[in-house]
Amino acid sequence: MPGELPPAGATWAERRRRALADPAMRAAVAKSTRNLAAKKEAAFAAYPAGEAMRTRAVIARRGSLARVDALLDELTRQIEARGGHVSRAAGPADVGRYVLDVARRRGVERVVKSKSMATEEIALNEQLEAAGLHVRETDLGEYIIQLAGERPAHILVPASHKTREQVRALFDEEAARCAVDPPTGDATPELTAFARRQLREDFLAADMGISGGNFLVAETGTLVLITNEGNGRMTTSLPRVHIAVVGIDKIVATWIDLADLLQQPALSGTGQRLSTYTTFITGPRREGELDGPEEFHLVLLDNGRHELLGTEFEDVLSCIRCGACLNVCPVFRTIGGQAYGSMYSGPIGVVLTPLLGGLDRAPELPKSACSLCYACGDACPMEIELPRHILALRRTEVERSMEPWTVRLTFELWGRFWANPAGFRFTGRMARLGQRAYLRDGRLQGAPGLVGGWTATRDAPPLARESFHEWWWRRRRASGAGT
Amino acid sequence: MTRHANAAPLQGTGGVDALVAEFVESWRGLEGDAWIARGGRDDVCHAIGEAVRTMVGDGGPETRRRVLAWATADLASLELPGLLAELGCEYVPWPSGSGGGAEVAGAEAAAPTAAGLLNLAAARDIGITTCSWAVAETGTIALYATPATGRLPSLLPTAHLALVRPSQVVKTVADGLRLLADHVARQDGPPSAVNLVSGPSRSADIEGDLAVGVHGPRRAGVIIGDW
Repeated sequence: MPGELPPAGATWAERRRRALADPAMRAAVAKSTRNLAAKKEAAFAAYPAGEAMRTRAVIARRGSLARVDALLDELTRQIEARGGHVSRAAGPADVGRYVLDVARRRGVERVVKSKSMATEEIALNEQLEAAGLHVRETDLGEYIIQLAGERPAHILVPASHKTREQVRALFDEEAARCAVDPPTGDATPELTAFARRQLREDFLAADMGISGGNFLVAETGTLVLITNEGNGRMTTSLPRVHIAVVGIDKIVATWIDLADLLQQPALSGTGQRLSTYTTFITGPRREGELDGPEEFHLVLLDNGRHELLGTEFEDVLSCIRCGACLNVCPVFRTIGGQAYGSMYSGPIGVVLTPLLGGLDRAPELPKSACSLCYACGDACPMEIELPRHILALRRTEVERSMEPWTVRLTFELWGRFWANPAGFRFTGRMARLGQRAYLRDGRLQGAPGLVGGWTATRDAPPLARESFHEWWWRRRRASGAGT
Repeated sequence: MTRHANAAPLQGTGGVDALVAEFVESWRGLEGDAWIARGGRDDVCHAIGEAVRTMVGDGGPETRRRVLAWATADLASLELPGLLAELGCEYVPWPSGSGGGAEVAGAEAAAPTAAGLLNLAAARDIGITTCSWAVAETGTIALYATPATGRLPSLLPTAHLALVRPSQVVKTVADGLRLLADHVARQDGPPSAVNLVSGPSRSADIEGDLAVGVHGPRRAGVIIGDW
């Protein structure tokens, strides 16, 4: 079954235009991506063991994917043996139905969430809110995004496109809505103190916590949750019901595999050696324990993942959502995450969005949101061949004739002409004739079509009066050595 | 942030001493507070006083500092109630009904309600725990959830203080996970929750600017010593 992703909202042209017209956002994104990319490099440089673990982690991830079904069965047995519940969800509606069932049975009204890409992918908040539940995102960045009514702009730092002035304005509005004191200023500690106070209330009042999961360990049925703020711990410790929604791709076989993986999201994501909080959850609270959830549920989300197993795209499922590919991508650095129209942005989003949601959902991403610079392929700690996948998706678009006929005809003719020397020389002569009308001060300007689009923001030198071929043959003839 | 080392500098470069030194350096690098108290029980007790004062202030006579601690036999042997009373703190042990030396003075008689328990923990200035192991390379402590060692004392109070024995410090995360694997083999499975904590709660979600104390403890301290 193919998966289902929320719609992109606006058209690609509109999203792109909006992004390029927002200098504050672009400056914020440029700053945060360069900062994170530099921290990653420094972290690995100072910690050779991290690189050795990374290499083994790649093998562990690939090995787990090769037998994902058997591992999921083992995981399920282990969790159920410890009193937890496991459910398989094919897509968004299955998850929504399951969570609402549990909520109704347990009389849940208030839900707190820790940051989770899986629940973004299935628009779980909208589903729960439509059923009358109060849902609060508790990761600081996600909280800001929820107040702004936006989608996360970066896998790891969802509000990195917001300035502190914008954050303060959102918090002021929220303070007025809740009739509480607003933040005392826009310094980071003041903004953080406001969020801490507000979200504490939500945590203490919540009936249900919903988390994602960074990894699942099959051999003991353990959910691994990594956070820096502590919201993951709060979400899974305080409410009486905990539901984790996790993609089936997060499974690893053993704790030995996990040992190599555990530091990788931090090393490649933020440049830390280990995130501040790493939580291993194995079932609900045990007999005699006073805290921890009474009920633990794991919803294993497929949403198009199974279909990728055994294909050339299988390695995409070993993604650990560190965001390293976003931070080095020239396109992401220029337009930010929201222009991608998907919760998965940057190079991994260019690949994952069409693979999970269908190529018709986002044909523009492989086609236009990549310059094929290959930086993402080098940056990926799980060695996912992102550039090759982007090319493969482009090829599929061509094979399915998804381009307009004008484009197809242009490339068809171009291909034919350039397949032999005479055709190549002919196009050069034609272009030299054609460019005459658009030469201004020795530069090309105002030409129609693709050429005009290019020269609108860049300089393009005109074709020389004489081509290299012509020059070569003229000289040979002049020196009498020609044929 | 002021940091105290109230014992002589570490001697030697090998074995436990080197691991302890690396752990302390890593922990402090994460904005955590660390006290080395390797002169025995009295030294550890002295360091607890120092840590409480440094991390949450002494509060003065009007607002006594409120302390919540795990109800383990190991911590009970430090006679925390008397020690904390001397420091002018109000002390509550984790109200676990069963197991792990709950015979600490001041333990509440009946198990509190869920909401009561949350409020009890959230209103504390500092939570005191031990740990199962610590990692030198990453500045990490491991906390296993059991009836006597709840999740909340290290999470909801404003500050968290963990007592770490020098022999508990291992080099890598993988070394620590091997200890957890041993526990899993002995106990037929992992604890319901294991938390690896590396310094105080942090976020860089606002303009990439580091903020400490977002949801979890604002300050995280360790005392390294035997008692």
